[in-house]
Amino acid sequence: MAGSGTAHLRADDGDLEILLRVENMVVEFPVPGGVVHAVSDVSFDLADGETLGIVGESGCGKSTTAKAVIQLPKPTSGTINYRGKDLTELSSEELRKVRPDLQMIFQDPISSLNPRRTVIDIIGEGLRVWGGEGGELSESRVLEIMEAVGIDPRFRDRKPHQFSGGQCQRISIARALVLDPKVIICDEPVSALDVSVQAQILNLLEDMKARYGVTLMFISHDLSVVKNISDRVMVMYLGKICEIAQSDELYANPTHPYTRALMSAIPGATDADDEEVLEGELPSAIDPPAGCRFNTRCPYATDVCRTDEPEILEVRPGHFAACHHPVL
Amino acid sequence: MAGPMLEVEDLTVDFSTPRGNLRAVDGVSFALNEREALGIVGESGSGKSVLARTLINILAGNGTRTGTIRIGGRNIDELSRTERKHFFGVEVAMVFQDPMTSLNPVKRIGQQITEAMRYHLGVSRDESRKRALDLLEQVRIPDATRRLKQYPHELSGGMRQRVVIAMALACEPKLLIADEPTTALDVTVQKTILDLIDDLRQEKNMSLILITHDLGVARGRTDRIGVMYGGRIQEEAPAEWLFRDMRHPYTEALFRSIPQIDRPSHSRLQPIPGRPPDLLSPPVGCAFAARCRYSQPNCLEAKPDLVQATTTHRYACFHPVGTDDGAAALAANEAAGKNAAGLSLDEEREEIV
Repeated sequence: MAGSGTAHLRADDGDLEILLRVENMVVEFPVPGGVVHAVSDVSFDLADGETLGIVGESGCGKSTTAKAVIQLPKPTSGTINYRGKDLTELSSEELRKVRPDLQMIFQDPISSLNPRRTVIDIIGEGLRVWGGEGGELSESRVLEIMEAVGIDPRFRDRKPHQFSGGQCQRISIARALVLDPKVIICDEPVSALDVSVQAQILNLLEDMKARYGVTLMFISHDLSVVKNISDRVMVMYLGKICEIAQSDELYANPTHPYTRALMSAIPGATDADDEEVLEGELPSAIDPPAGCRFNTRCPYATDVCRTDEPEILEVRPGHFAACHHPVL
Repeated sequence: MAGPMLEVEDLTVDFSTPRGNLRAVDGVSFALNEREALGIVGESGSGKSVLARTLINILAGNGTRTGTIRIGGRNIDELSRTERKHFFGVEVAMVFQDPMTSLNPVKRIGQQITEAMRYHLGVSRDESRKRALDLLEQVRIPDATRRLKQYPHELSGGMRQRVVIAMALACEPKLLIADEPTTALDVTVQKTILDLIDDLRQEKNMSLILITHDLGVARGRTDRIGVMYGGRIQEEAPAEWLFRDMRHPYTEALFRSIPQIDRPSHSRLQPIPGRPPDLLSPPVGCAFAARCRYSQPNCLEAKPDLVQATTTHRYACFHPVGTDDGAAALAANEAAGKNAAGLSLDEEREEIV
């Protein structure tokens, strides 16, 4: 898999405002004995108001990709164009000014909230740091957001342990929304929740997106959840993009062998005759395979896959995959 | 062997807590045949893990159990002390959710696998090593000789869970209880682990209880599914049957709340309104009545019995889904805009949990 290339990037025309464009992003971490190639030459874009889902197994670089976008940490190379500014080039003061626009929600709602502070404090902290608004004004803003995410404003002085996991995730969402961000990165936001609560949080994210016009990057290992919430879905493997398309299109016509393997592993997917089992283990990101990074586990791999890295190409209208032998 | 592999009769588990008595399992009865796989689904707090732990006799110190459990025809309360010592972990074994915390981080894999068989079966060191090697091969761990000498942190999550399964199988149990065995794993790894459990069950004629919150996993991997809520089995049916012909409103609600892979993106999900019952002061009536779209006044007054509706289908509901009575109850609640407990049925006004 894949692949490099930028064929899947979209032009910023009248109908589509590209909010964020990531090009050739590389994230590497030095470790004793080498370098972890966490994200290798990944490009993608985010249109205003859309939800981009990122799926892949643990270690595929999906969280690293999302965090590198908000410069946590700064990527090793590549450009991240956000509304005309390259985030990687900004000074720390300039970057600080952009930060309110880019917020994040984490997986574990309870450990991501300070247990010793009250809800109103937690949600309002961003406003306090950003000053500008007076005490009264920011309080009304916090209470409005609490109401919007479904936390009764009367509970303003409660602490996180007095809420359930689902409510804590609502508080995290409120905290992300309070500064009126443009982009929210959701890193496995429902993975720690029970199914009935998961449905509430997914619905809430959809509602907040409609109400506040935010753009979401939604990371999950649960393919059904990602399909439900995303407009576009990007599949990653070992630091590379395999496939990217509109969500319904991708799930209806997966063309990359890795995407197909993921789909056939979904519990309850009953396409027994179309089974493509993934053999072996994820290779080390310190010494990733040459050519297509998926070649060691791919049932379709040939010699070319072991030497040449596939480019991301349009395999169907609006549907891009990085594979020498896409299943069409 | 005559009779079922496992018989559970009127099992109740209470915990005494500083805030009072908590009934985690409330009168559960079921039977499981040889080679049969039973799925237990339900949300956190439904009592499914307590049930599993009770079956393998590792109830926490503040817990008390009533009711009978027969494993392989033996009532576990009638075992002698010596029999008991070599019963749990031998006849019945368990695979836990988190493979990292169920392995000892400072002991080599080989040592952990051989420990149980040396203690329970009294096999020699050489013999146990040979068997451990064999077990690792059975759970498809490549390069088993080297793995035996490694520590848990040197293995990936999927590999560790295979080791945990190998440990559970070391004494050739007749009944395997797997409590969320793949929840911490990626879908692709999950699939290989579940395939492995399937194969081993066939090869070794094992019975299986698979506890999961994932309806898809239960559907694909078990013969029958029991749905638990508030410490009780609310519905039980053959796996495919349950999905086609569900009768309990909780089963339906659970099913409606899950994103389905075959539905278009942005399909609105139907969360279950309200919150689970407080087990410290449980409701008098049906545990689900407060959140149920079908509930009527009688649901708040008494708990429905788990009724054997057909030879294979049991459910506990006064106004079951898909019956005339259920349809009437739902229509009445929809007309009133609320259920018997006063919960609004307006889907735009979701009750916040």
